[in-house]
Amino acid sequence: MIAILQTKFRLLLKKPLMFIGMTGMGLLFAFFLGMGQYSKMMVPVFSNIENLEKTEIWEQLQESESIAFYIVSEKEAKRAVSEGKVEAAVSLSEDSYEIFVVSGTPNVQFIQHYIHSIYSDILLKENIRKEWKNDEDGAEALINQLEQVRENPLFQIQTGTFQMENSFVYDNRLQSLFGMSLFFVIYTIAFNVVHILQEKTEKVWDRMILSPLRKWEMYTGNLLYSFLIGYVQVVLIFTVFKYLTGVNFYGGFGKTLLLLIPYVFAIIALSMFIVSVVKNIQQYNAIIPFISVSMAMLGGAYWPLEIVSSPILLTLSKFVPITYGMESLKGATVYGASLNELIEPVSILILMGVLFISLGIGLIERRSE
Amino acid sequence: MLLDVVNLSKRFKHVQAVKEVNMHIQQGEIIGLLGPNGAGKSTTISMISTLLKPTGGDVYFNGKSIIKDPKSIRRKLGVVPQEIALYLDLTAEENLQFFGKINGIKGKKLKSRIEEVLEWIGLAERRKDVVKKFSGGMKRRLNIGVALLHEPEIIIMDEPTVGIDPQSRNYILETVRRLNQQKGMTVLYTSHYMEEVEYLCDRIYIMDQGEVIASGTNEELKDILSSEQTITIQVERLHKSFIDALIADSALKKVDNRDKTVTVIAPKKYPFFKKITGYAEQTETSLVSVEVKAPTLEDVFLHLTGRALRD
Ligand SMILES: Nc1ncnc2c1ncn2[C@@H]1O[C@H](COP(=O)(O)OP(=O)(O)O)[C@@H](O)[C@H]1O
Ligand SMILES: [Mg+2]
Repeated sequence: MIAILQTKFRLLLKKPLMFIGMTGMGLLFAFFLGMGQYSKMMVPVFSNIENLEKTEIWEQLQESESIAFYIVSEKEAKRAVSEGKVEAAVSLSEDSYEIFVVSGTPNVQFIQHYIHSIYSDILLKENIRKEWKNDEDGAEALINQLEQVRENPLFQIQTGTFQMENSFVYDNRLQSLFGMSLFFVIYTIAFNVVHILQEKTEKVWDRMILSPLRKWEMYTGNLLYSFLIGYVQVVLIFTVFKYLTGVNFYGGFGKTLLLLIPYVFAIIALSMFIVSVVKNIQQYNAIIPFISVSMAMLGGAYWPLEIVSSPILLTLSKFVPITYGMESLKGATVYGASLNELIEPVSILILMGVLFISLGIGLIERRSE
Repeated sequence: MLLDVVNLSKRFKHVQAVKEVNMHIQQGEIIGLLGPNGAGKSTTISMISTLLKPTGGDVYFNGKSIIKDPKSIRRKLGVVPQEIALYLDLTAEENLQFFGKINGIKGKKLKSRIEEVLEWIGLAERRKDVVKKFSGGMKRRLNIGVALLHEPEIIIMDEPTVGIDPQSRNYILETVRRLNQQKGMTVLYTSHYMEEVEYLCDRIYIMDQGEVIASGTNEELKDILSSEQTITIQVERLHKSFIDALIADSALKKVDNRDKTVTVIAPKKYPFFKKITGYAEQTETSLVSVEVKAPTLEDVFLHLTGRALRD
């Protein structure tokens, strides 16, 4: 089995392009999707306030990291909502706001929460100014103090009250990083696991059967190599993002590295299963991009599952390993969950893995009888 | 007997690929398995190599069933598959190292085995070259070399000379002969080239459509044709009426034609020259030559099956 691993790594050194390419693609896509403006949630705004751009409300709206507010006419805003181009539009007045939606997605709550906090903030400041009418300096000092407290809180006040309500936190950089890593590693793994099929057709496999090697060593050697190479790829991407671009893992970096293990295992197993049902390598090569892209869409690698509301798509997503990979990675980071709390997605991944790998090897062995 | 193949059969879903094949191989023999593409040669030797389970019959190695105990024969067996079963992106030496290691050969022993094998297959100078860059003949030689690493007693080769130049082919044939003479290896050699088995083999099994249709030494097989002669007729242009006239002649046994050449099998005493010129005249066919040839295995095959061995 050591000889198999050794030879696989030798082959990798002679032909590293596939691995480098997939790692590079993962890095690039995660980087550009993570920084791109367009991946912020777009929310049109219309208002009867004159010179809205110069008001404090607008200034604060612009500070959002995940929502891009832009000013349009009332007609355009409402049309954008009704056509489903945006999830919500906002009408702003001096002391009230209104949100137009078609359906109440978690994002709508998120937008509402954000605007609400801005309005209460401004209202609070106005009240202070009103009460301290005679002492303007004192009022400003208090406001300053308030802002300082907000920026450097003495107590870490639970910043995301909305997580408590089981709602959605959107961190675009992590979403892209996780999504793209989990997506591109499918290719690396799938095109390594298929070596089993290739060696079977080229009869290298027969030579191994005739040698004193055991069957389990042959499978383990091949699959362990695929595992290592896939795992190294995702760890590499995560490490680059943590240490070079400084992505915030919310203190869960170590946990994410552990949580990648069951995901990579499940993808190995799934590839093994696909290998066992295809007719030949050409068919496999044609089917893998289709499967990986569909899984990425269903499992929330391209966009967060939280914004999907179709019950059909959500049901389908339950059968896709990426769903659980994303769930556990986000859980360990943005939602601050402990490993214990993530036992469910992890067990599902392991279960999927065991199931697919046994089915795959079973079918392949039966077919060669 | 070293190897007894008894009523060996294999049925795939829709094809009976091998039907009740019997073969007996003694230590030190070179045995040929000759047959056209699709005859069932590869299927037969896959079963003998324990890579494929028979649907009927068994193979006995030193009297022991290989279905019950496949491991005992595997260690003594070198198998050269019809495919180039190598890592094309590795060098010749790296391939030998890998296949040596999985066969449990290590360290100094592995080194000396690789040296010896490289000498045998004449690739010592090219050991550091990537297999992908090899010519067809060199790949075939390495394909054989890998099967020799663990010093097998029997070597089974499946069409080891397919698609290579005559020089490489001769090299391989000579290597097989030397392995047999100098190392005492027993050889089961599969081919659809009758010249090869005729040249190389002590005894030959001829297979067609899953069955062994004849077996024996070269001479024994040709004796099948002893009462007959093979006549090759060349014409300027082939008319169907000429063929029809030959077929209509009940004394002529088999008629096979390709381009401008017609081959017929006739009884020894048949006045072939007079008859054939007669048919030519009747059908206005211009003859180029009429020739009586010593029978070849090709003729034996034609005699037995009514079809040419190749294509
Ligand atoms: N795995 C298989 N499944 C179905 N049919 C097969 C399989 N392998 C071989 N055959 C069929 O069995 C017959 C014999 O094939 P093979 O043993 O490869 O012949 P040869 O080696 O003499 O050319 C052919 O008709 C072939 O199509
Ligand atoms: Mg064959």
